[in-house]
Amino acid sequence: MLADALVRAPSPVVAFVPGLALGALLLVVALVFGGRGLGAALFLAGATYVAAVAAAGGGADASAPLVAVLLLLCGELTAWSLDERLEIQAEPALTRRRAGAITTLGLSGLGVAALVVALSAAGPNHGLGWTVLGAAAAVAAAGTGIWVAHR
Amino acid sequence: MTGYTSWRLPVYAALGAVGLVAGLALGRVEPVAPAAPFLLALVAAVAEQEPEVSVRASLDRDRVIEGDEVTATIELFSARGADRLELLVQIPRELSVEGETARAVRLRPDEERTVELKLRCDHWGVFSVGQVLFRARDTLGFRSWEGGAGEARPLRVFPREETLRSLIAPLETQVFAGNQVSRARGEGIEFADLREWQPGDRLRRVNWRATALRGSLWVNEQNPERNTDVVLFLDTFAEVRAEGRSTNDRAVRAAATLARIYLQRKDRVGLVGFGGFLSWLVPASGMRQLYAIVETLLTTEVVHSFALRGVDVLPPRTLPPKALVLAITPLLDNRTAAALLDLRARGYDLIVVEVSPVELVAPEPGSSLELAHRLWRLSREALRWRYEQVGVPVVTWREGEPLAAPIEEVNAFRHLARPA
Repeated sequence: MLADALVRAPSPVVAFVPGLALGALLLVVALVFGGRGLGAALFLAGATYVAAVAAAGGGADASAPLVAVLLLLCGELTAWSLDERLEIQAEPALTRRRAGAITTLGLSGLGVAALVVALSAAGPNHGLGWTVLGAAAAVAAAGTGIWVAHR
Repeated sequence: MTGYTSWRLPVYAALGAVGLVAGLALGRVEPVAPAAPFLLALVAAVAEQEPEVSVRASLDRDRVIEGDEVTATIELFSARGADRLELLVQIPRELSVEGETARAVRLRPDEERTVELKLRCDHWGVFSVGQVLFRARDTLGFRSWEGGAGEARPLRVFPREETLRSLIAPLETQVFAGNQVSRARGEGIEFADLREWQPGDRLRRVNWRATALRGSLWVNEQNPERNTDVVLFLDTFAEVRAEGRSTNDRAVRAAATLARIYLQRKDRVGLVGFGGFLSWLVPASGMRQLYAIVETLLTTEVVHSFALRGVDVLPPRTLPPKALVLAITPLLDNRTAAALLDLRARGYDLIVVEVSPVELVAPEPGSSLELAHRLWRLSREALRWRYEQVGVPVVTWREGEPLAAPIEEVNAFRHLARPA
């Protein structure tokens, strides 16, 4: 995140450093104290990225999906690290399954984030097809929300 | 089962919501894109269903000897399956497990699995084993469901016994048949003496060689084989415990060993647990008495009490006349010392086996505690001297020594000195 902010906005970089340092500190705190502060660390990292992109100006950032997946992996790997501290004799297959699940989640997240970025590039009034697609997406999102609420 | 959610779910939900709101407020896609994977993870977490898990636990044996291994078998079944099922068998600290106590396995739908735990019984006692705590989790650990199963069953771990070749012979015997050669004269196997024939003597008892030499009828006299009454007097007022070893543990092992061997000899054995919690068993013989004694010993523990207590509180039948009283004590409490001297004054054949606590409390060389340790040892010497003054042999059973050593010491003492 720091490197990204340095590349994008060299002039106001000093403004990002305290936030990033705090985020890194919170990540260490999360690892030491069983996950406390991880949410704040992820939020600070995401906010720094958004602020750097907004300061740099221009169109949609193509690296946003990568940033999204890295943030997610940061949270998941921290949680895995904390779980491994418990003295539990686990089957080796369970470790492989969790690694596979994180990889699948990461790749799916990358695809969804890329889709979001790609769809945002489509401008307004591009025809009936886009309107139908947007309506379908809205219905799918609402349906997912209802399904989740029912479970 | 009780369901729980990971601390990550609220965090991910908040990040997703903040990203969406920020995207709307700024009119840019960059805050929305990082929010998308978190929302996807949220949907994946909520999609998980509660697994229905059936857990049964059993032990292959419920009675073992100290040092043996018991296998705990946990049978698992789930109709829906569980991505990760964590099990924790609640095990007392006196038992140890090969590997970790907690195990994690995967259960496929309609799959039955068996997990075996080898429990090593490091200490005697009665323990409750069999309750299992389990936690079913999804693969990523977003949601979990916890529950308990299995019934707590008693596991009896009997104390390990010492090897003894000889026992302490009581000074007096009882009237029933046994294996102990009595001092009295009567029908028996062991030759005792010769005497002149009297009316009523059987012809088979005539000693023809002595009769031929002396010109009148002489008969053999024998020592009859009789049983004895042995009372094991266990001092449970106080103990010294260090690094998992204690004087009470060894005292119980000694009592179990002596009870078994005396009962094998057809003697009657009784038990007195003299301490904060008083317990007793009237002397009896047979296998049933052995089980009763061992069961009582298993529940023996040191209960601290400040009540003044003497042997008067014991029922009279607990201490029959002419019984051999074997006191197994660490000689830490004055009440036991007084009670034992009282028993001696009442004419009981008393022997004190001192379970030495000295090795367990040895101070570091050069420390200020050395002087206190020396004074304490001197006070113990003074107490031993008091016993010896009234004709009671006191033998010390030190840590690491076999029980046979103090027993042989008592026998040697009895050969040299006859108590009054």
